[in-house]
Amino acid sequence: MNEKVMEGSHAISEAVRLCNVGVVSGFPITPQTHIIEAIAEHCSDGTMKAKYINVESEHSAMAAIVGASSAGTRAFTATSSHGLALMHELLHWAAGARLPIVMGEVNRALGPGWNIWTDQTDSLSQRDTGWIQLYCEDGQEALDTVIFGFRLAELVNLPVMVIIDAFLVSHTYEAVSVPTQDEVNEFLPAFNPRIKLDLENPQALNQMASPQYYMEMRKSMQLAMETVEDIYDEVEDEFHDTWGRRYGSVEGINLDADVVFVTSGTATTTCRLAIKDLTDKGESVGMLKIKMFRPFPAKGIQNALKNAGKVAVVDRNFSFGAGGIFAQEVKSSLCNLKDAPVVFNFIAGLGGRDITTDTFFEMYEKVNANDIPQTESEWIGINEQELK
Amino acid sequence: MVSEKKGMKLENTVSLFISRSAHRSSEMNKTGSWRFSLPVYKDKTAPCSAACPTGTEIPRVEMHMSRGEVRKAWEKIIWENPFPAVCGRVCFHECEGACNRKNLDSAVGINSLEKFIGDIALSESYTFDEVEGTTNKRVAIIGAGPSGLSAAYFLSKLGFLCEVFEKESEAGGVMRWGIPSYRLPKNILLDEIKRIEELGIKIHCNRELSIDEFNNIKNEFDAVYLGCGLGASISPGFEGESLLEEGSIFLKRVESEKMSLDGQDIAVIGGGNTAIDVARSLIRTGAKATILYRRRKEDMPAFIHEISAAEDEGVKIVELVSPTCVKHKGEMLEIDLQEMTTGDIDSHGRMSVRPLGGKRSLIYNKIISGIGNQIKDTWHSPDQNNSKMELKNSIIDITGDTPLVYGGDLTNKNQSVSDAIASGKEIAIVLDLHFKGDSDIIDSLEKCRVGVNAISFEIYRGGRKQYKEFVEFKNVNIDYFDKEDRNELPQISKEESINSFNEVEKNYTFQMAANEALRCFNCGVCNDCDNCRVFCPDASIIIEDGKRVIKTDFCKGCGVCVTECPRSAMGMEEEKV
Amino acid sequence: MRNYNLTEDVFVNPGNMGCPGCGATIAMNLALKALGEKTIVTIPACCWAVIAGPYPMTTLKVPILHTVFASAAVTASGIRAALEYQGDNETTVMAWAGDGGTFDIGIQSLSGAAERNDDIIFVCYDNEAYMNTGVQKSSSTPYGTNTTTSPGTGWKKTRKKKIMEIMAAHRIPYAATANIAYPQDLINKFEKAKSIKGTKFIHIYASCPTGWKIPSEISVKIARMATKCNFFPLYEVEDGIHYQLNHVGDQSVREYYKMQGRFKHLSDDDIDKIQNYIDSDFEVLLGRL
Repeated sequence: MNEKVMEGSHAISEAVRLCNVGVVSGFPITPQTHIIEAIAEHCSDGTMKAKYINVESEHSAMAAIVGASSAGTRAFTATSSHGLALMHELLHWAAGARLPIVMGEVNRALGPGWNIWTDQTDSLSQRDTGWIQLYCEDGQEALDTVIFGFRLAELVNLPVMVIIDAFLVSHTYEAVSVPTQDEVNEFLPAFNPRIKLDLENPQALNQMASPQYYMEMRKSMQLAMETVEDIYDEVEDEFHDTWGRRYGSVEGINLDADVVFVTSGTATTTCRLAIKDLTDKGESVGMLKIKMFRPFPAKGIQNALKNAGKVAVVDRNFSFGAGGIFAQEVKSSLCNLKDAPVVFNFIAGLGGRDITTDTFFEMYEKVNANDIPQTESEWIGINEQELK
Repeated sequence: MVSEKKGMKLENTVSLFISRSAHRSSEMNKTGSWRFSLPVYKDKTAPCSAACPTGTEIPRVEMHMSRGEVRKAWEKIIWENPFPAVCGRVCFHECEGACNRKNLDSAVGINSLEKFIGDIALSESYTFDEVEGTTNKRVAIIGAGPSGLSAAYFLSKLGFLCEVFEKESEAGGVMRWGIPSYRLPKNILLDEIKRIEELGIKIHCNRELSIDEFNNIKNEFDAVYLGCGLGASISPGFEGESLLEEGSIFLKRVESEKMSLDGQDIAVIGGGNTAIDVARSLIRTGAKATILYRRRKEDMPAFIHEISAAEDEGVKIVELVSPTCVKHKGEMLEIDLQEMTTGDIDSHGRMSVRPLGGKRSLIYNKIISGIGNQIKDTWHSPDQNNSKMELKNSIIDITGDTPLVYGGDLTNKNQSVSDAIASGKEIAIVLDLHFKGDSDIIDSLEKCRVGVNAISFEIYRGGRKQYKEFVEFKNVNIDYFDKEDRNELPQISKEESINSFNEVEKNYTFQMAANEALRCFNCGVCNDCDNCRVFCPDASIIIEDGKRVIKTDFCKGCGVCVTECPRSAMGMEEEKV
Repeated sequence: MRNYNLTEDVFVNPGNMGCPGCGATIAMNLALKALGEKTIVTIPACCWAVIAGPYPMTTLKVPILHTVFASAAVTASGIRAALEYQGDNETTVMAWAGDGGTFDIGIQSLSGAAERNDDIIFVCYDNEAYMNTGVQKSSSTPYGTNTTTSPGTGWKKTRKKKIMEIMAAHRIPYAATANIAYPQDLINKFEKAKSIKGTKFIHIYASCPTGWKIPSEISVKIARMATKCNFFPLYEVEDGIHYQLNHVGDQSVREYYKMQGRFKHLSDDDIDKIQNYIDSDFEVLLGRL
């Protein structure tokens, strides 16, 4: 293990190299480009043996690795925003085919207008595709998540999306502890696919399924999803044994405080600072980071939030006509809990607008000002003039 | 526990039910139930077979030949005809006239192929299978010509014991004495006769029967076949006819003597094959030959190719002259000729002729009559008073204790070797049926009918089925056949032809024969071309034990196989609901 | 006539879900005869996605990866890359798409694979419309055709896309047209394609009795007529520039058009116009030889 200063994008590409990935496909989209550029370079200079396919669209990027993974090779691609949206069809296909693909996804806003900055609506729009979604706060977490993401994916036969924020992680240089190849080889065994195109044993994969069978196939995906949390924990245990780091599907601080923020992505890092400031001032405030959005760790969240006074979910995303997407999920996971805390929802930082400690202080004040939310979701920092 | 990762298997813990075939073939899907009609392999009668007096299944002969399977091709022929090498030379080959291929380019060289196959059989010494079992019935056969020998052949195959009585010194009849050796070399004929004899047939030569002997034989044998041909020539019926030499006698002399008629000017009267044979033989003896014919050249009954070959060799043809008188003129003969002109088409579809005013006389060293022959003795034809079965190629009289059967030239409308063979076969089957006590011989015979006239021995013996349907040109899928020149037999030089009795037509090489056989559409006969299987959209035609089988579980009845069968050897049948 | 001497090996199972007389099933049977058992097939949405059989059965004796409509070529590219990573340079990877998955929705992915010269065989079995979904017009549908989305007097008034020219423009090592009615030619082309490294494109004319409104039994005959009248010439293009013609048709298109229900509304003048199109296209092709 050695420490390196690197971009979050390169933390991902470095992890991909260490994971002995066989096929990588890539199509450029800002802010994801650095990931595939680095991999292309690794493939070109021979430090990585993967076959790199320069596809002509993200739709093809995913189709290519669907092919590669079905042929029994560990496969990776990365994308962002419109690219992910274009892939949408294939996301369903990859998950329905139960392929253990790992994809890097850099959260970026969707146009119009064109906006290359961070926003989670792109990945959250894909929540029903059957992918495991793991959100990361920084480069180290991204690197680690890719490595155990492959392990998890291959154990449960579901694809894993490793998600980082545009620029705030993707283009930000940080010190990252990089495992050695031997360590990774030890942690991540050679790929032994349960599904494979095999000349010795020829079968058709992904063929038409009539109503007689389709529903069971979908139920099977859900059954697999239901195993994810436990297996994820076990994988993390192992990861921790080797490298001493673990993230959990959720991470809580001061969970029985009067106000508990629920965050994801880099907003979490800011939140950590904000609650420290507030706690230092004697306020009762805590934080719950959600790393795993799919499967949604409802039990863990219930458990984490059952003693909270009020819950404030910060969403850097939005489902039009409804509300912040994390908030909706958190609310639904709490709704059957006796004496569930009230849930406030704040929409902040869309399209790359900064979320600062002040943003948290503002939200904290708003939560304290009311016993119950005055609106389904409150947009923070809106210039009302623009809307007139 | 995940921590036991090295040996950990989650196959049983994580559900993985996906859409994959799990090694199961679509054979579970019985698409045959979609079908309304079903393709069937259905052999049919080809026009060549229907036209052949012997009913030979020519498409299958050519199929074997095209594959180089000469022995199988020969075995196919000899089901119906014991004289392939002879017929390959002398047959009228009506098969070729009927050949569907002539609508595309030109008929298949069926006759030449028969010659090739027949000759290979001789040079390779193929023999007939020995006959198993016997009826212990004895049949006397009068005349060792093509019908008599064929009767002996087919009767022997049916287990009859045959004895043949021949008036000449050697067997063969018209084949031996009436067809010049430049068309039918003697050794070929003798070899094919020998092969028949080897079936155990006794041939008594130099035994011209009197009526008394005939009556004795009737008592001695279980049945008698009269196939002694037309032993008397037709009198031309004009003054001085006794000065003419008879064509058939001339041809016999040419066969037995070394004749030289260098420079002599000789006329031949007639327009049939005998006249042509005489004229072409004359050329070979060094004579100048002129054919005198009362109608036009195109009305001559002789084969067209024989007429043109004769002309090529220098035979002169004088049309529309009718002899009225022959007389001596010094050492020469003078013939008076009535000039004729064309009239109307007669009831037989032939152009009639009538005298024109003019007359002329021509002078020749010798004049030969090639008009034709007739029955020699009255007992050669059936008793007018007896009731008879008149069949296509024979007449049966079973009024007496001993069945009497008449065939060959005695009964046949077409006086040809092939028709004579047809007679021999027909009477053999009829006698077999008779002795088996068949209640409806005519009907039983019909069940072996091929085309209009022919009877198949192979069908009679259960070797092939009778195909009710015929293949017309429109039934052939000519998408599969490109135009291709017919392979003609090579010929010896003209110089050699006119200076010898060497056979004019040589033979195919093996490759030529195979190529020519490949031109055959094989109408109505599956030749394993595999189109049906290649094009089956449903993989429901398979090969089982070398044969194509339609898997009815899967055939959707689309009919592609039937359409793509090049030769109409398949058909669709309505499904019974 | 010389008989086809095709291998007795069959890599398709009976019981396929194709319509009676389906040309596309004939095409697959022939293609696999040439390619053999070391072949992986990927099939996008198209008739064959159904023909190959629903869960739990398969019509092929080789592996199939069903993929999405637009992605046949790149899915094949992915399979190929994976095989190469595993050291397998022998197995043939074939994308098997209809005309929609080739000419229309699949063309981007196909163009991408061709430009990368990925080592795959891309086959378009062309039945000239979206047959699987009920005969809707595609960009392969020829001028003059009635489909359910070009119905009645709204018959298609634009011409069939020249996909071969597009593929040749990629300068791929091998592109060829083939026809189910010419099995030996088809097999030769697949064998050739198999022996060449890089992207190979084979455009197979595959009749559709259902969509063309013809009796099923003339399915092969009609395909043959298409080549005989130069509606669908058989030719090969190597490296995008070296053209070779395999068959010269000598018949008019009239009979070909007259035999099909999808063209029955066309007047003699319309057919004359089509004949001119065919003639000029064939001239262009001859000019490239």
